[in-house]
Amino acid sequence: MRDLLIMVVVLTVLSAFSGGLLSGLRNATAARIEVQQLKFVKGPAIKKILQGVSNDPIADRFSLKDGDMVRKFFVGKFDGKANTVVLESSGKGYGGDVGLMVAVNMDDDTIVGAGVTTHSETPGLGAMAKDNPAFVSQFKGLPIAEMFKVTNDGGKVNAMSGATITSRAVCAAATQTGSIYQKLKPQLSEKLKEFNK
Amino acid sequence: MAKTLTQEFTKGLWEEIAPFRLVLGLCPVLGVTTTIENGIGMGLATTFVLVFSNILIASLRNIIPSKVRIACFIIIIATFVVVTELLMQAFAYTLFLKLGVFIPLIVVNCIVLGRAEAFASKNDLLPSIADGLGIGIGFTLSLAALGAVRELFGANNLTIWTTPNSVIGIQEVFGTNFEPFTFMVQAPGAFVCLGLMLCLMNLMGSK
Amino acid sequence: MLNQKKLIVSHAPFWHDGSSIRVRSYHIMLAALPAALFGIFTYGMPALGVVSLSISFAIIWELLINKVTRRTISIGDGNAALIGLLFAMLLPATSPWWLVATGTLVAVVIGKHIYGGIGGNPFNPVLIGVAILMVAWKDFFDFNEALVNYDLGFAMVYPLAAAKHLGTSGIEAFSTAGLLLGQHSGGIGATFGLGLILGGIYLIIRGFIRWEISVSFLAGVFVTALFFHISDPSQYASPVFHLLTGYTLMGAFFLATEDSSSPVNFIPMLIYGAGAGVMAVLIRNIGAYVDGVVFAILLMNLINPICDKIRPKSLGKVV
Repeated sequence: MRDLLIMVVVLTVLSAFSGGLLSGLRNATAARIEVQQLKFVKGPAIKKILQGVSNDPIADRFSLKDGDMVRKFFVGKFDGKANTVVLESSGKGYGGDVGLMVAVNMDDDTIVGAGVTTHSETPGLGAMAKDNPAFVSQFKGLPIAEMFKVTNDGGKVNAMSGATITSRAVCAAATQTGSIYQKLKPQLSEKLKEFNK
Repeated sequence: MAKTLTQEFTKGLWEEIAPFRLVLGLCPVLGVTTTIENGIGMGLATTFVLVFSNILIASLRNIIPSKVRIACFIIIIATFVVVTELLMQAFAYTLFLKLGVFIPLIVVNCIVLGRAEAFASKNDLLPSIADGLGIGIGFTLSLAALGAVRELFGANNLTIWTTPNSVIGIQEVFGTNFEPFTFMVQAPGAFVCLGLMLCLMNLMGSK
Repeated sequence: MLNQKKLIVSHAPFWHDGSSIRVRSYHIMLAALPAALFGIFTYGMPALGVVSLSISFAIIWELLINKVTRRTISIGDGNAALIGLLFAMLLPATSPWWLVATGTLVAVVIGKHIYGGIGGNPFNPVLIGVAILMVAWKDFFDFNEALVNYDLGFAMVYPLAAAKHLGTSGIEAFSTAGLLLGQHSGGIGATFGLGLILGGIYLIIRGFIRWEISVSFLAGVFVTALFFHISDPSQYASPVFHLLTGYTLMGAFFLATEDSSSPVNFIPMLIYGAGAGVMAVLIRNIGAYVDGVVFAILLMNLINPICDKIRPKSLGKVV
């Protein structure tokens, strides 16, 4: 009985100590990790989408509440005017979620550019969505309000050969950014005005 | 038991060098050693976990009941692995991107649990630190050696460390006309390369 | 020893035709010569260079590994030279010297001596060498690219690549007779169908290789290709085309029949050969690689020990 008690106590104390240490460390490093992620993963993707941007979109970011979710948005300035906003969403791909970033011009509601950020698709097939810019560049110039579909499903987007599921995932993600954009448009334009001051 | 601290330290460098003599911890050995840099990074992460788990286990060894010792060891090791992971994300994110899933896998690396069970739970604090350091540095060296061979032939480079702006190491060792033997940086190449290095070690030992 | 009373018999099966390794090696090389010579004749000096380099390197590596492992020098048995010759026959004529050197090193050391030398290798050493090179340097095994500077009076398109990318319409230029007479591009010794078939028949008649493996391999290729061809004649090439292109004939007569990596009983030999044939066409028609013979035979090498479990019941009591 005494043995059992000691075991329970030791294990509990150890676990509690470990949990406390880790949660403390997590809180301490969370901000830094987020900065690192922005710098090394999302930053390059955004820079690629917003070519010729005059500000640093990663520094000019803000978040908005969408129902229970907090979403992050990045602002792009062209010719000194903040008129572009970058949204993020994801779709179900072949090997998990495919993250997509879409930059939308607030003046005429068209897509400025799109880029795949995170994915776990098959190298050489689905992974081409990220590696080969030809596929995502199809979204350029299309109105954001559209439902994006691959040609097989009656849409406009040419699927990558051998990667229909990934192509569908990217289209679904793009459609989702569209709906987020529509829903939050008033708030977004309010925020952009602040950046234009 | 009459070993000195120095002996505890140096045994990890040659006599009991983990991947080659004990053939332990092969998952990272095969998985991440595509460049020297990855090998060193992985080795240092493992060393960190090894030393700190050895310290904690050696100092708690009289408190931990023997029936639940493995569970306690795993909790301690897992804690330090997550600490490593968080620190690496915060301060060496590019390395974290390359090593990816292998960092959490240090938890199940049998070298760490092996040292905890076989050494730290039976020895004092100082020998345990020496042991952890020795085994860890030996592990780092063997990962770096394997990484060097694979990177040299597979990618024609020797990258010791990359900073965002520059690369420390030699690029294109054999000149630009060399066609890299890419088989070496692929998974089957890791097995073949490890096998040949083991063979070399045995050959050297047999003389 | 002659008046020893005890009758010592190891377990079945037995297969010995009185020949030595040396005789076997030289006869197989002799059988491969027509196709190899044809390749040298077609592709000229570069091909001769590749073949000589390959044979010499194979022998040098064998000698070196013998020295390093302190075993008896075994270059005299001709097996290393045979590996070198067969390896060169699979390469394009334009292979650079280091490709040949690395390939033979892998074939002789990793393919054969790591497993304890001749007779101990679970895989065909030549195929190990080719497979690793194919994985590492894909571009050098792209026959279209490798042989682009040749103009030999026939379409310099690798037939299998054409069939894979263009469907049947891409291979109309290849007649059966042309394929048999080597009028298509490919490995140095792998294009001359007639020569390979003659060599194979010679080996079968002399008993150096087993007809069961060769025939079942070809049958496997033929039947599978036939199914594909019937299902969609515009996309999948005819079975005869598959029999005469790529490494099929090399595989059937020289590669799949390698001694220590192929089964010894009748039914296992049939399973082994047919399995490799089926896999080869599956990889060609569905898989990512243009030619599947190399990987198909390696795969069947893997299940060879299991194949050999199928054997006749032993008579009497087993001790």
